[in-house]
Amino acid sequence: MPELIKVDARGMACPGPISALTRAYRKAKNGDTIEVLATDPGFKPDVQAWVKRTNNELIELTEEGGVIKAVIKVTGKRG
Amino acid sequence: MKKVLILGGGGGGAILANLLPKEEFEVTVVDRDEYHVFQPGNLFIAFYGDSVEKYRRPIRSLLKPHVKLIRDEVTEVNLNDRKVKLKGDKSLEYDYIIIATGANLDFDAIEGNRELLESYGDFYSTLENAEKLYKTLKEMREGRFVIAIADPIYKCPPGPHKGAFLSSTLFERMGVDVDVVLALPFPHAYPSKTISDIIEPELEKRNIEVHTFFTVDSIDVEKKRIYSLEGEELEYTVATVIPPHEGPRYKVEPSEVKDDSNYLKIDKYTCLIEGFDDAYAIGDCTNAPTSKSGVTAHLQAEVVAERLQGFDARYSGRTNCPLITDGMGLFIISDYDHPPIPVRLSRFKRLLEDLFVATYWDAIRYPELWQPIFHAYFEATSPAKLGERGW
Repeated sequence: MPELIKVDARGMACPGPISALTRAYRKAKNGDTIEVLATDPGFKPDVQAWVKRTNNELIELTEEGGVIKAVIKVTGKRG
Repeated sequence: MKKVLILGGGGGGAILANLLPKEEFEVTVVDRDEYHVFQPGNLFIAFYGDSVEKYRRPIRSLLKPHVKLIRDEVTEVNLNDRKVKLKGDKSLEYDYIIIATGANLDFDAIEGNRELLESYGDFYSTLENAEKLYKTLKEMREGRFVIAIADPIYKCPPGPHKGAFLSSTLFERMGVDVDVVLALPFPHAYPSKTISDIIEPELEKRNIEVHTFFTVDSIDVEKKRIYSLEGEELEYTVATVIPPHEGPRYKVEPSEVKDDSNYLKIDKYTCLIEGFDDAYAIGDCTNAPTSKSGVTAHLQAEVVAERLQGFDARYSGRTNCPLITDGMGLFIISDYDHPPIPVRLSRFKRLLEDLFVATYWDAIRYPELWQPIFHAYFEATSPAKLGERGW
């Protein structure tokens, strides 16, 4: 069953949010969705670069009230 | 007399034990090992060939005579009943407890990592493994020496970089053609972009190959390849992979005080374990959002010593992580309110680090004498003071 994994990285300084995403990604499997909330402005370019590098899918990247929300569909994990 | 029980005789535990006045406190330290290890010494053993003896002392010799030392292993801590069980069947009671048993390195979490450690050693876990890595590197004539990381949360954030710089100098001294490869889980060459911008040219100058977004997933020791979670692979001749860390494995009641990596959940300022007013945790065994480093343990020990004597001391989150190359150094200086400040690599800062190494044993044994000197340093170099001007 695909799962929705939520990562709350609000308040963490760079590279806290990407590290939190990496830790969640280790446990994730293809088909899962990871939702990350972050307040560090560096997270936006970092998550875009990360998704590109890892061949995952960035479904949503929004910013509201200083909170960046990234929704990632896990597609890039090796079998 | 208040009964204080300190689990762990490393930097944090020993400094705290030595700071508590004997007129007011009956202090007991428990440690499973005979020796206190100066962990940065691993680097000097692995890359300079220093002797193991230089970086360890019997814990007993570092504690003041009135501090009681029990050599045993903790099996259970019950914060509700104020009781600690030891492997040797003994049980201890306390008025105040401080957990300072450090982080565990889990070499079995990543496929192939234990074989890698057993084949080559490392500059990270024990003095003996550092000695082994030095022997391994001295045999190398060509190929690739890879330093990689399995989880973004590890002790001493600049450790891998120091390993890369110092090994590149070692190979240069040996006159051999070995490529040094540094693979990191971060978007840049250092967790902090500010520091990354400073050290990237230095890494480049020394032809150190840097791979970003590389978090080790598994190691194939037959094919000599390291695979990353991000989907890439690296070939190695000799490699060392910093394993995932975790908090103490022994049972702690109530279990809610540990997070999902076994780290003890503390208030980041007071170091009190969540939900308790008589139990603290300091150093690498906590979930405090700061670097896992000796300076953290040291400053938290001072905070707890003050609090036990009735003062409202708070830890600022200050870090002072040294990043050294062969002749130069810088300090990564930050606190809870400030990200790492810009710093320049300099010969002077490397000398400050060498001075610290030389004073280490004395600073543990007589923290009260060294406190004013350290305080003057920390105040003069505080992120609020140096700010954007840098150092």
